Amino acid sequence: MDFDWGFLVSGNYAQKLAEGVLTTIQLFGLSWLGGFFIALLIVGLRAIPFKPLDRVMRLVVEYHRNVPTVVQIMVWYFGMPQLLPDSLRLWINQGQSEFLFAVVALSLNVSAYFSEDIRSGLRAIPATQIEAGRAIGLSATSVMRYVTLPQALRISVPPLLNRSLILFKDTSLAMVIGVTELTYQVKAIENLTFRSFEVFAVSTLIYLGCSLLIMGLGAWFGKRFPPAFKG
Amino acid sequence: MFDILSNYGLMFLVGSWPNGPIGGFAATLILAALGLLLSSPLALLIGLARAGSLRLPRYLATVWVYTFRGIPLVMIIFWAYFILPRMTGVTVPAFVTALCAIVVYESAFLGEIVRAGLQGLPPGQTEAARAAGLSYAKTMWHVILPQALANMVPSLVNQFVSTIKATSIVYVIGVQEVTFAAQQINSIELNSALQTFLVLAGFYFVACYCISSLAGRLENRLARKRLGLA
Amino acid sequence: MKARNWMSCTAALLLGTVGLAGTAHADRLATIKEKNRLVCGTQNASVPYAYQDATTRTFVGYDVEICKALAKGLGVELEHKPLSTEARIPELKMGRVDVVAGAMAYLPERAQQVDYSLQYLQGNIKVLVKDDSGIQSLADLNGKRVCASKGSSSAAIAERVLTGSRVMTFQDVASCNLGLQSGKVEGFTAGELVLKRFENESAQSGSPTRLLPEATYVERIGVVTDKGNPELIEAINGVLRKMDESGELDAIYKQWLGEDSVYKLKRTFKVEPVTTS
Repeated sequence: MDFDWGFLVSGNYAQKLAEGVLTTIQLFGLSWLGGFFIALLIVGLRAIPFKPLDRVMRLVVEYHRNVPTVVQIMVWYFGMPQLLPDSLRLWINQGQSEFLFAVVALSLNVSAYFSEDIRSGLRAIPATQIEAGRAIGLSATSVMRYVTLPQALRISVPPLLNRSLILFKDTSLAMVIGVTELTYQVKAIENLTFRSFEVFAVSTLIYLGCSLLIMGLGAWFGKRFPPAFKG
Repeated sequence: MFDILSNYGLMFLVGSWPNGPIGGFAATLILAALGLLLSSPLALLIGLARAGSLRLPRYLATVWVYTFRGIPLVMIIFWAYFILPRMTGVTVPAFVTALCAIVVYESAFLGEIVRAGLQGLPPGQTEAARAAGLSYAKTMWHVILPQALANMVPSLVNQFVSTIKATSIVYVIGVQEVTFAAQQINSIELNSALQTFLVLAGFYFVACYCISSLAGRLENRLARKRLGLA
Repeated sequence: MKARNWMSCTAALLLGTVGLAGTAHADRLATIKEKNRLVCGTQNASVPYAYQDATTRTFVGYDVEICKALAKGLGVELEHKPLSTEARIPELKMGRVDVVAGAMAYLPERAQQVDYSLQYLQGNIKVLVKDDSGIQSLADLNGKRVCASKGSSSAAIAERVLTGSRVMTFQDVASCNLGLQSGKVEGFTAGELVLKRFENESAQSGSPTRLLPEATYVERIGVVTDKGNPELIEAINGVLRKMDESGELDAIYKQWLGEDSVYKLKRTFKVEPVTTS
């Protein structure tokens, strides 16, 4: 068997891979930020003691968790524009909308999971914390903002990190709508050259490398902002 | 959409069985259920090792977690299927390979959730239990783990639900589960790409929603118990 | 530089274990005869080449028939293996399938990794566009988006031939058609007979489409084996020539692509080397 995969680090293929890595990182970064802030919003809204709102939010979370991410991406890309007026739809189809739709779909998808992970953290906080906060005169939102949420986030770092890693790998799903991220490029090269093992090896190593970076970041964050009860 | 269900319902549900291996949604559920069943005890051990004070178990668990969280599941399955038989000389059928890959993958993620639960508890709990004379094992089993896992139910459910959907990737090594069935139908039907995917989504949604609802009820029960204690 | 060396080492280690195990082997033909079994791989979801019939839920198709004929011609039993796009070449290289009849077109880059038999099918790769788009020729596709199915020969070819267009790949041909119909892409490239189905379908529902007359490429499809098995290739070529002479190939063509099928194509190709230009 021939292992010349030096071809991968030269010329056209290397450039395609580099573009793919860049697109993957962009997809991940934007989806993570979007997802995180939407998750905080969901958590905040669910904390309001208004039953119907909680039900609606629960439905939103359930949809985004239970429907496969691939399908969510396709629904946004193919389905959503059908609901828009013609002129808007044509304008969307002109530009490179697939990246945008992928980010939107991934953000919403990950926000549902993030919100549940943050809720795990909130559950771990004893009720006495909230009581104490109210007792010294803080409003409900201030208690959430200054007392419970910071603690909850610290406790939730491992599950949030888990989910971030899964998000990073889920960016490859955007290839079904033609986003030229890493897996897309890898498959294109494999299709042309049939050098399956070489390209899949490179793909594995790149994903592993980037994931280790993300895990390193998470570990640093966990050490820098440890859960309140340690030590 | 309903004609897709009526024409291809059997293909969606059981794949090519009995003309071939069990497939379709049945295969998805079997794979997910077995995967979770087998990875949970492993996850428990990994979480305990990572949160514990002994160096060697913690180190080994850390390597495990870092490796298997960092590699995409499709690649774990791919390499396990193609490279392991070459290195070990043992050929394993595709379904078993897929199952092992899922177990290993999920154990890394579930292990971290267990660790988060353990570290989210006040150390006073452990101290009190040990002071009362309970051994490490008894402390974990009766005092710490129930509380830690109860806190982590939303995250655990997240991960269980993820697992069901993660099984869709096993088609690459020829396990014919429900996403594979959808691909079949997509190649036969011409204009029904979106409908086929929506039917597929429906199957996953029903399964995942059942788990989420069960988990929701479990959470409520636990919450009521906790208030009783508080 | 350092990261690259580290990557090199790990990948080399990975591939090295594979290579060590795979260096010495007899020609595959001997193994096939000894086992009395030909493991023949095809695609798993590609109409009309190899797909799962909805009613019988068994695998059928042009390539499946070729596999059956190859096994019969070699005088051995057939073990048919439907393969995913990711696994088709690894399974071949790992020796888990003996040959792959997967509608794989000949491309020089591909021929560096595998050996092709004589062609058993030839097709035109064309582009489908919407009737009202005003696109008349391949040149008009410059600056436009063209879709192909992931892992298909059309995708690889489109990247080389349609250099002025933006080639995107979607998951499968159905998604590409959806993309064309909903205006996400202006062109959809695939094998002519796949596109014919969509063209016919679109006349009844959705926006009408038409095939651009110019083909981007003539794909020559052959049976694929791992490198280093000249006897196997010779044997397969022998079987294909016999099938051609006896009319068996014509019969298979007629059933799946010709008069008895929805495509109604006429066979125009000869069983000749894939490199014939």
